[in-house]
Amino acid sequence: MKPLLRLSDTISLHSRLLIPRLFLSSFSLSSPTAFQIPGHKEVRAPSLLSNQRFLCSCARMEEQFESFRQQLEESGGVRERIRAVAMEIESCIRFMHSSLLLVHHSLPSPEVLEKAKAQISTLRDLYQRLSEILRECPGQYYRYHGDWRSETQTVVSLLAFLHWLETGNLLMHTEVEDKLGLDASDFGLDIEDYLIGLCFMANELPRYVVNQVTAGDYDCPRRVLKFLTELHAAFRMLNLRNDFLRKKFDGMKYDLRRVEEVFYDVKIRGLAKDAKLEGTQPSDS
Amino acid sequence: MAAKLPHVYQPVAEISPQIQSKKQRKMSTVSAMPEAFEKYTDYLNQLNEKRERVVKASRDVTMNSKKVIFQVHRISKHNKDEVLEKAAKDLEAVTDEYMLRLVRELHGSDFWKLRRAYSPAVQEYVEAATLCEFCKTGNLLKLAEINRSLLRLSDPSLEPLQINILDYLLGVGDLTGELMRLAIGRISDGELAYAERICTFVRDIYRKLTLVAPLMDDNSEMKKKMETMLQSVMKIENACFSVHVRGSEFIPILGSSDPNFSFLGVSDMDL
Repeated sequence: MKPLLRLSDTISLHSRLLIPRLFLSSFSLSSPTAFQIPGHKEVRAPSLLSNQRFLCSCARMEEQFESFRQQLEESGGVRERIRAVAMEIESCIRFMHSSLLLVHHSLPSPEVLEKAKAQISTLRDLYQRLSEILRECPGQYYRYHGDWRSETQTVVSLLAFLHWLETGNLLMHTEVEDKLGLDASDFGLDIEDYLIGLCFMANELPRYVVNQVTAGDYDCPRRVLKFLTELHAAFRMLNLRNDFLRKKFDGMKYDLRRVEEVFYDVKIRGLAKDAKLEGTQPSDS
Repeated sequence: MAAKLPHVYQPVAEISPQIQSKKQRKMSTVSAMPEAFEKYTDYLNQLNEKRERVVKASRDVTMNSKKVIFQVHRISKHNKDEVLEKAAKDLEAVTDEYMLRLVRELHGSDFWKLRRAYSPAVQEYVEAATLCEFCKTGNLLKLAEINRSLLRLSDPSLEPLQINILDYLLGVGDLTGELMRLAIGRISDGELAYAERICTFVRDIYRKLTLVAPLMDDNSEMKKKMETMLQSVMKIENACFSVHVRGSEFIPILGSSDPNFSFLGVSDMDL
């Protein structure tokens, strides 16, 4: 028992508390062969030294886990900050979406689009903040990606819809980055997010077509159909995995079909030719 | 009715020139779309291929790490040195052959992007490496040490794969299950001291992890592991307890090297 006591003098009280008394006594009884350390021949002197080793290991563990705790707390902090920004993005999106919803109420008017566009600068600022946070932890973009992912997809869908309303063209990936002030080398827009956003936009188009026809724009189905056909054809070039994007893409054909139906209804009644004929409603099939 | 028919059919006749002009326009003005999508296709193809390669490499890492663990379990009272030596060699082979492929595949932001593809393999590898280290030295192999050994596999300037804290901790979580098996095996082999040592070690890990586990990114997986871990700890404790109680009269020969001596069951004590 004596050497053991001497040992405990040399170790800190702290680590001594970690050792159950019961086991200390049984270790001193164990034979040298009970716990062998191949490749460490110098540690042949049995129980005492292996005890010391054991105490060391405890301190080592303590140190490592303490640093893990710190690192995890830090990343938890980063995540909280990201979530805070993501929530602001979300509320910004809500404003933008609700003002953009007015396009369903009447023929397109520039004020509606202007109002929605006003939110873009706010979004820019928010993405700027996001990229500043991410700059603190380089290489970990995808660690936190999930926290702003769905918001970003919605942002893409709104921007692309807005852009299409204005120009009739598809908003390209790089154009979204430009609009949001993102830099691909630093904090870019994930291409899958962009593509999913486009699918969301496609979901919006059937409703838009129906309402535009009701409002008297009989040429709209043709334009939308052309655009959506092209978009669908472009998407078919992608080799998709069995994931969310694939699911959204599979849904796009229903949007396409709905627009085709509206186009057909309008066409077959000869409404497209003389645009503002009378208030003939396209039949809902 | 007949009067209406022409009205219906008339637009149809007009469709074809319209479609023609549409097609022409598509070709000329909006050709940016296919072009851009070609880029996206390339991106997705490359990503998917890479993911596929990572998954394949991961499967090999998992399989061979499991073999290392099995090798460690072949340990018995008298063959420790050879068994552990072989295990260490096998582990080294896993590192040099299979982890190398993973390490070469993953750079920079891939660690997190493709984490789901390789995480189980890395956990298994951590498990095997820490188990070997524990049997050899009685210490917990540190994350920094594992990562250092991976660093030598590739040019450091390429930012090769470094195992992240989460996978390491998940691997350590699995380690306790293996240690439980090891402890039970040791007890039935009569090496109570070894088992008790494992017990202390596992308890320590469990205690340390209770502080850290709730902080982890996605802690539902870890939560489950913590529960199983507690089960393992208790199994070891109960085994140690029953041996301690039943074998109390034999304390003086605890360290005896008599190979026939076993603490399990009264019949053994009658021997």
